[in-house]
Amino acid sequence: MRLVKCWFCSSTIYPGHGIQFVRNDAKIFRFCRSKCHKNFKMKRNPRKVKWTKAFRAAHGKDMTKDKTFEFEKKRNRPERYDRNVTENTLKAIKKIDKIRSTREAKHIENRLKPNKQKKFNEDKKELNNQIDLVRAPGVSEKVKVVVPKIKSVQNEAMEE
Amino acid sequence: LGDIIVGSVKEAIPKGKVKKGKVVYGVVVRAAMQKGRVDGSQVKFDDNAIVVVGIKEKKKKKPEENKKNKVEFNQPTGTRVFGPVPHEMRNKKQLKILALAQHMV
Repeated sequence: MRLVKCWFCSSTIYPGHGIQFVRNDAKIFRFCRSKCHKNFKMKRNPRKVKWTKAFRAAHGKDMTKDKTFEFEKKRNRPERYDRNVTENTLKAIKKIDKIRSTREAKHIENRLKPNKQKKFNEDKKELNNQIDLVRAPGVSEKVKVVVPKIKSVQNEAMEE
Repeated sequence: LGDIIVGSVKEAIPKGKVKKGKVVYGVVVRAAMQKGRVDGSQVKFDDNAIVVVGIKEKKKKKPEENKKNKVEFNQPTGTRVFGPVPHEMRNKKQLKILALAQHMV
């Protein structure tokens, strides 16, 4: 039993899942589900299809170079069964998995970090410069209106 | 995959062992329809292909000799097989085809 990677999306294919397509030049394409298989038949390049791992790796969205990946190499020689080795390997798998996922999360966080500060600065600038989009200039200021004293002048004229 | 089928030759190279119009027996080595493997996976190939294993000859029936000839189709007629060949040949005892194959799937 061997866990393989889907050719299109790079997810692991567990036994009993997916289809294996053998081309006449003897190249084998394994697909995890019909979604990947249909995309392949449409001749789509996985490096351009946004949800695949190939795209994310090619565009620097996900971590590609790390020592934890080296543990998952394909080995063609079967190992002689040793109980201790198996036990230790199982423990190691869990640990390495944890380390790898924390590192990947860190990588994505670091990728998004400078963007946060940039966004904040942009918002601040917008608030200062374009406040007139929110309220018109000079509307809420109270304006003093002078009322002329007409009555008193009239009285004076009549008296004369 | 691995079953023997009967067919007729539509196209043949000029100096081949089989001539056009002959009825031949062949072992299916590649099928475009997916076939389930024992581990639960499905395999499919790019085209449908057979390896010619025997040529049907016109026999004159003699009424006295009523032997039932069970013909074993194990020896391919040709010397080469092209393209990949699946493991299923092993179960069907087509070991010569496996030996001649360039790639095994």
